[in-house]
Amino acid sequence: MNSPTSTAWSRIRRSPYQALAAISIMTMTLFLGSIFFLVAAGSQSVLKYFETRPQVNAFFKSDVVPTTQAVDLIKSKLETTGLVESVRYVSKEEALQIYKDLNKSDPLLLEAVTANMLPASIEVSAKNPSDLKTIAEALKTEPDVEDVRFAEDIVNQLAVWTNSVRLIGFSLVGAHIFITFIISLLIIGIKVSNRRDEIVLYQLLGATGGYISAPFVWEGILYGLTGAVIAWGVSYLILLYSTPFLIRFLTGIPILPVPVGFMLTVLGGELLLGAVIGGLGGLLAVRRFLKA
Amino acid sequence: MISAQNLTKKFGRIIALDSVSFDITPGEFVFLTGPSGSGKTTLLRLIMREIKPDAGKLTLQGPVKIHEYRRTVGTVFQDFKLLADRSVYENIALPLEIMGAVSADIDKAVKKAIDLVELSARTDLFPAQLSGGELQRVAIARAIVTRPKLILADEPTGNLDPKTAKTIVKLLSTIHEQLKTTVLMATHNANIVNHLGKRVIALDLGKVTNDNPKGKYE
Repeated sequence: MNSPTSTAWSRIRRSPYQALAAISIMTMTLFLGSIFFLVAAGSQSVLKYFETRPQVNAFFKSDVVPTTQAVDLIKSKLETTGLVESVRYVSKEEALQIYKDLNKSDPLLLEAVTANMLPASIEVSAKNPSDLKTIAEALKTEPDVEDVRFAEDIVNQLAVWTNSVRLIGFSLVGAHIFITFIISLLIIGIKVSNRRDEIVLYQLLGATGGYISAPFVWEGILYGLTGAVIAWGVSYLILLYSTPFLIRFLTGIPILPVPVGFMLTVLGGELLLGAVIGGLGGLLAVRRFLKA
Repeated sequence: MISAQNLTKKFGRIIALDSVSFDITPGEFVFLTGPSGSGKTTLLRLIMREIKPDAGKLTLQGPVKIHEYRRTVGTVFQDFKLLADRSVYENIALPLEIMGAVSADIDKAVKKAIDLVELSARTDLFPAQLSGGELQRVAIARAIVTRPKLILADEPTGNLDPKTAKTIVKLLSTIHEQLKTTVLMATHNANIVNHLGKRVIALDLGKVTNDNPKGKYE
């Protein structure tokens, strides 16, 4: 007895060029989809990384050792604005330790520096990067604060870039999904048309719409699944190949190598998307014929 | 089994059937005769519920849902309508597959049908490897494999030589007698109709011109 999947498989084998066309377009779309998804996920992680770093640093005058009360006063002033995520005081000793950690490979730089030479500071993380300027302005009004630095531009540019990647990705992949859907519909539609007499016979023998549609739907699903596996494999290979370069490029930002679990989730998503596009294409192609 | 009262079917301006009335009781063997364009195929299509009448009433025994109803009817076509990429066995098994029968039941029923049409030596062959008479035997086996209550045969001998045609009709007659199946066969083969001496409903220009229990082809 022929199951819908085995019928679908034998139909694919009997028209290899049509199958090749369907799988190629499916692969191309899902490959584009996975590349854009990986770039979007990567830039999102980079943005998250920068958002969670202290974004405003207020340095006290180097001859000032702020009292606990003075620091607490600044902290409470900032917290009452409702704009800050966290506030951390870095004393002169802690600053020296950070300096030592950063320059541990160069003893000459360490010898000449003492805690008194370094300023104490306050590190502030904002809830929203757009409030960085307001926080910085508030800190500048403090009499003991000598300098305020904040990473407004980096975070804002990253946010703009991430949004652009998402927007371009969505538009491009969305358009490709639509084209792929139409091509699947056409290819399976041709097959349905070629089997017109067979379908009419099935109807005369009492077959339900589901029985007639199932092999065509499975055919579309098989195209989608094959395309998804190829697209995922190629994009994963490209990612693995470029990981050493990307690690150097993103020094200090711990998003690479991409965990295998994450890539398997991407594969799952692509399989689902491919199956839905192909299956829906097959279903619509045969339903259109059955309705006519 | 089938009751038609003032059945009318039009295709645009053409009247294919014009107030046709008749009754067919279970277990009857009926020839539907008439020249081309007389309305024989239209009547069979109405009975298969492929099309709906424009006027009159057609009462059919069987389930209400179309696909379920069609499973109770065996159909034999002039052009056989066999699937080229399926073997004799697979073609005959098709209606049972559609009905969702289990493999063991399919095997049993298909073998019985093959024995009845005397094609045991051809089970693994494909349609392209068979003669016209053998193709029609396969089609008949496919029509009877589900043990339908009604067999509709639309010019089953139309593509066959006289000798083979006689064999096919004899086979249908045997099935009718052995399985007590109602048979409605459209034909314009006068020899066959006259030889069997069964009921004949004659159509011409969409009207019943004769309905004789032991009729002749006129």
